[in-house]
Amino acid sequence: MLPTITVDDKKCTDPLSCHKCLRICPTHVLGLATKVGPQKFREMDPSQFIVAGVRFEKCTGCMDCVSVCPKSAIQVSF
Amino acid sequence: MCVWCERYAEGYERWYFNPANYARKLYRIRKEEAAGLEPGPQAAGGMSLLTRDFLEALDRNDHEAIAKVKHDVEQLSWTAHFGQVVTLEDVLKVIDTIYPIAIMTCACRRSMLGLADEENFTCIGMGSGMYKWERWPETYRGGIQFLTPDEAKDIVTKLNKRGLVQTLATFGTPYLGGICNCDYPDCSFIRTTLDYNVRVLWKGHHVARVDTELCSGCASCIHRCQFKALSFSPSQNKAYIDSFQCFGCGLCVSECPQDAITLVERASLPALADAW
Repeated sequence: MLPTITVDDKKCTDPLSCHKCLRICPTHVLGLATKVGPQKFREMDPSQFIVAGVRFEKCTGCMDCVSVCPKSAIQVSF
Repeated sequence: MCVWCERYAEGYERWYFNPANYARKLYRIRKEEAAGLEPGPQAAGGMSLLTRDFLEALDRNDHEAIAKVKHDVEQLSWTAHFGQVVTLEDVLKVIDTIYPIAIMTCACRRSMLGLADEENFTCIGMGSGMYKWERWPETYRGGIQFLTPDEAKDIVTKLNKRGLVQTLATFGTPYLGGICNCDYPDCSFIRTTLDYNVRVLWKGHHVARVDTELCSGCASCIHRCQFKALSFSPSQNKAYIDSFQCFGCGLCVSECPQDAITLVERASLPALADAW
């Protein structure tokens, strides 16, 4: 069964330094991306990073990412 | 939900805790459901049904032919003889339910390794069929030895410690007649299920999970997994379990010196609740 994983980017403001959800996921479902893609000759502003459920076929629905998120930004539904 | 519990638990927590599923009509495969099958342990086994035709279909990626054989073999196996992985804790409860219990030689390892009888007493039979073993001298090569419940528990616990997975096997579903002690690659249940994706072995009611905070990276669990579900991430220095591949036997759990692996109820995880 496939889940729908949504991350509210307005609440999740600095995933690059937080990344609690990435580390807690038992099947490494979540990934870190950016809103804008690679930028030549400059570093990305931390606010441009987002979390997404990239390998979501391996999501078991344990909801650990939901409960670990300090900003309550993640929702997982089946 | 586990379809076998749905059909045969009759109010018990799991189908294999229901005493009605033991001993009664052991070895008697009901004719209308498995026409043409001889009653008796010879009816057992999915391996013999997977012929060269199936392997050739796999080899040329003939999805249609593969699906047909898979369907036919699974249906026959689920009617006549299939297994489900159980934890040691559950097996010990089963041993308290059923009498008589006897130890015998393992047919899989005899056929795959040619093990001599005296090295091969790893298979446990249950129920009244044990009294009739002499009818099938070839199946019960080496004879059988009746066990008290305590002796049976002791043997199963030792085999588990050695690294063998406990599975309960039906002989004419839902009648449970055997506690197999399996390992890859010689157990035909595990081999057929993992290598050919023909599901003659069902996953158990649990799934193992690593607590990465507690995992020390000692890797002592890795060799315990017989289902290719447990791997080791050298970059993280942690054990990794593929939850979808885990059969929930609990062998890795008991080996972990940090108590970093726990069993979770399959039913508690939405994506795995129906992934048997």
